[in-house]
Amino acid sequence: MSAASTSARFWLWLREHAVNIVAALVVIYMLIPIAVIFVFSFNDPAGRYNFTWVGFTLEHWGNAFSIPELNDALWTSIKLALLATLISTVIGTMMALALVRHQFFGRRLTNVLIVIPMATPEVVIGASLLSFFLILGSPSLGFETLLIAHVMFCISFVVVVVRSRLIGFDRNLEEAAKDLGASSLQTFRLVTLPLIMPGIFGGAMLAFALSIDDFVISNFNSGTTVTFPLYIFGAAQRGIPVEVNVVAMILFFFTVAAMGFTTWQQRRAEKLAEVRPEQETTVAGPAGSSAATQP
Amino acid sequence: MSSIGGLRRLAVAMAVLAAVLGLAACGSGIEAGGDPAGSGGGNGNRVELEAKPSGDLTISNWPLYIDKQTVPDFEEETGVSVKYVEDVNSNEDFLAKMQPLLANGEAGGRSLMVVTDWMANKMNELGYLQEFDPAGIPNFQVNLADNLRAASFDPGRDFAAPWQSGMTGIIVNKDQAPDVRSVCDLFDPQYKGKVEMLNELRDTVPLVMKCEGVDPNTADEADWMKAIDKIGEAAQSGQIRRFTGNDYAADLTNGNAIAVIGWSGDAVQLQADNPQIEWRMPTEGCILWSDNMVIPVGAPNPTAAEAWIDYVYDPVNQAQIEAYVNYVSPVEGTKEVLLEQEPDVAKNPLIFPDKAFTKKCSIQPAPTGELEENVNRAFNAVLNG
Amino acid sequence: MLKRRTIPYALLLPGAVWLIVFFVFPLFYMGRLSLETGSIGSYEFTWNWGNYSDALDLYQTQFVRSFLYSGLATAIALLLAYPLAYAIAFKAGRWRNLLLFAVVAPFFTTYLIRTLAWVTILSDDSPVVDVMKFFGFVGENGHVLATGPAVIAGLVYNFLPFMVLPIYASLERLDVRLIEAAKDLYSNATTAFFRVTLPLSAPGVVAGTLLTFIPATGDYINAQFLGSAGNQMIGNVIQSLYLKQSDYPAAAALSFVLMAIILVIVLVYIRFAGSESLMGEEAAR
Repeated sequence: MSAASTSARFWLWLREHAVNIVAALVVIYMLIPIAVIFVFSFNDPAGRYNFTWVGFTLEHWGNAFSIPELNDALWTSIKLALLATLISTVIGTMMALALVRHQFFGRRLTNVLIVIPMATPEVVIGASLLSFFLILGSPSLGFETLLIAHVMFCISFVVVVVRSRLIGFDRNLEEAAKDLGASSLQTFRLVTLPLIMPGIFGGAMLAFALSIDDFVISNFNSGTTVTFPLYIFGAAQRGIPVEVNVVAMILFFFTVAAMGFTTWQQRRAEKLAEVRPEQETTVAGPAGSSAATQP
Repeated sequence: MSSIGGLRRLAVAMAVLAAVLGLAACGSGIEAGGDPAGSGGGNGNRVELEAKPSGDLTISNWPLYIDKQTVPDFEEETGVSVKYVEDVNSNEDFLAKMQPLLANGEAGGRSLMVVTDWMANKMNELGYLQEFDPAGIPNFQVNLADNLRAASFDPGRDFAAPWQSGMTGIIVNKDQAPDVRSVCDLFDPQYKGKVEMLNELRDTVPLVMKCEGVDPNTADEADWMKAIDKIGEAAQSGQIRRFTGNDYAADLTNGNAIAVIGWSGDAVQLQADNPQIEWRMPTEGCILWSDNMVIPVGAPNPTAAEAWIDYVYDPVNQAQIEAYVNYVSPVEGTKEVLLEQEPDVAKNPLIFPDKAFTKKCSIQPAPTGELEENVNRAFNAVLNG
Repeated sequence: MLKRRTIPYALLLPGAVWLIVFFVFPLFYMGRLSLETGSIGSYEFTWNWGNYSDALDLYQTQFVRSFLYSGLATAIALLLAYPLAYAIAFKAGRWRNLLLFAVVAPFFTTYLIRTLAWVTILSDDSPVVDVMKFFGFVGENGHVLATGPAVIAGLVYNFLPFMVLPIYASLERLDVRLIEAAKDLYSNATTAFFRVTLPLSAPGVVAGTLLTFIPATGDYINAQFLGSAGNQMIGNVIQSLYLKQSDYPAAAALSFVLMAIILVIVLVYIRFAGSESLMGEEAAR
């Protein structure tokens, strides 16, 4: 075994796995700040700033939800983001379908209409929306106005993501379904929708992230409601409590767990689907009992 | 596309445009107003007191500016139900958010807001505030600190009651920048790239003017511009690393900066975990500012708002707030109360500075009108490169 | 027959109404504002086109800088995002949702906290910067923060999910067998990639670059925290005009100029990138 051929094998291995390696590095890069935030959630500062490592403590994890303003703000943001994601994903997907599949009057204009909100500085959207709400004589600024604003800026992003998924979609699949006797609605529900789901899912994730992180537009249109980013930007004027780090990590781990859980469920379902045809006649018991334990 | 289709599209577009411009024209009343609330300072909008405070009170304040007990204690003592909202995170943001409401004579449900001196001045000039009825705030009349009594923008203390005061000076890393004692030292090339200044026009430029020997409250436009030019050159050359809000705190602790212009309250917090960080009174003096409680037009419950002001001006109640907030208390008698309970806080010169300490300090100037526009424009040109 | 024709309008209606009422109308209001003069509380409509000429005159540096930063950030984000999207689409199997989530997860910590974490990581005394000094990326007395590259790095980080998600959505629908076939046909994997995979994923790439470039150009937070006075972008100027100088008309005019330039760039880009089919003009065939 010469050194040259070992190094040649190494380069070969590297080339084969290059994509995976780069992908792994990028994921690590995405998560580095999270690691820092995680570490500092165990910090024990005497003052109100959390920039210097002082000592390790679990106290703040124990008191994670001890700041009522933080909890309220977080809960408001989560509700807002979930609702805004739901509404904007539905509306955005419908728009994407119309734009990609139909030729109609005003199509180019609609394409432009989608792009412009993304190009407008948030200060301007926020402020002009506020003035507009007041012209309308809107009863009160608060959750409702926030929801309207959030849906508004999420729609564009959902449309662009779903649209990229729809382009090149093989219409023959739908034709085949129709030939087999499915109605338009059934075709959509059973064929189209599952196939474009990754695009919808991607758009929804983006919408959720945008909503939960929005500061500028929310600042103008929130009235006396305080969202999570508003609380943090405000608190940062005087010092960021360690509980903020803790809560951020809890959110993070919770969603990782939720994702992990759905993945695990999928795996189980696949495994069961593999097993069942052989064992159908002999082992009705275990298959039945595991079906009973599935939530 | 046929030309007929094109014409049709054009027609529709024009119709939409016309409709919406018409709509927008209706809305012009919103920001061209200020009339419903009167005009100019001392506008005659006065609080009308009821016999006894009651009902609900919504307060807008800066975050982490109050302890946890004061609101429940106040509610118990007066029976008023308080909604305490921490949604003021910068004077300008708050003005931008409130301006359309206030111009219409509304305050979005708030009866009390807390804004810095110059913003209180501006709001008053625009006619957005109400004057106090002195009968509702006896504690305030008696206990307001002497040096805050005759504010240039509110000589009679008719519409602005200080919530907390603060000092803007220099914060340094003692080990790395032991010799920085004046704001002018920040221009010393040996600290190049490690110096930061505030992006607040009314703190940074007056301090630079002071170190050049000019009194910021009597300075003319030429003085302001000269100081701004000096700062601009330092920014261009890289002497000044960044202009910051209070995020200089992060930079001081992790070594990015060793000398900055900063606020006294922050220094108290930073010192707790970073003993090498120290707030220093510049040799030419600091800038004194206050965050003020003001009552907006359209306040639903001004009686309760005045009751709140009166409550916090009782030294016993103020002591409770001060022990947590650690800025400079505007209420006489607080120090004596705290000497027993929290002697460390009472003896901290950054929280209870004595007259000798603040001898050379200037009140934060609040230029208005054309002067304000010009210096604002020049300073922002420096900030934005 | 009638039903068929109304389907696209029915699908479009909720979204179009929402955008028109809550975006276009306020936009007209803003347009009116951009032609006014005066100071806060007393603006008057005077067809003041001066705001626009000022916008073009005074802020050219910041305009150019903004496009440069966001252009670079978009390019870098593309280089980082594509392999990641590829790996998630083809190699992650059942872990793909988890990985997608890992990409979006940083958003749960809010912009400020993330940026402050980077300030800690890239601070002058940090080991990361020491390593960079060792390799010569940074001068001996230099610093990483408060420079242009720091701002660009911040932009890349914050907009990476916007690049990953559309590319992933577009790649995922590709039949793996197409790629296998291409590898068989062409002598090496690289050619197969450039000839087959990349063109097929082009809609995703175009979407991702648009979703990154457009908002990044108007961004202000990264420059505010990670840059110095000489690195401020046009978004910072608009912020300061609106908030610090309370000069609403100038801010509105500047915003319109920014939006117009972005629109032009986007239209040119789409032409260049193969045009109509990518903007969803599929129904034209």
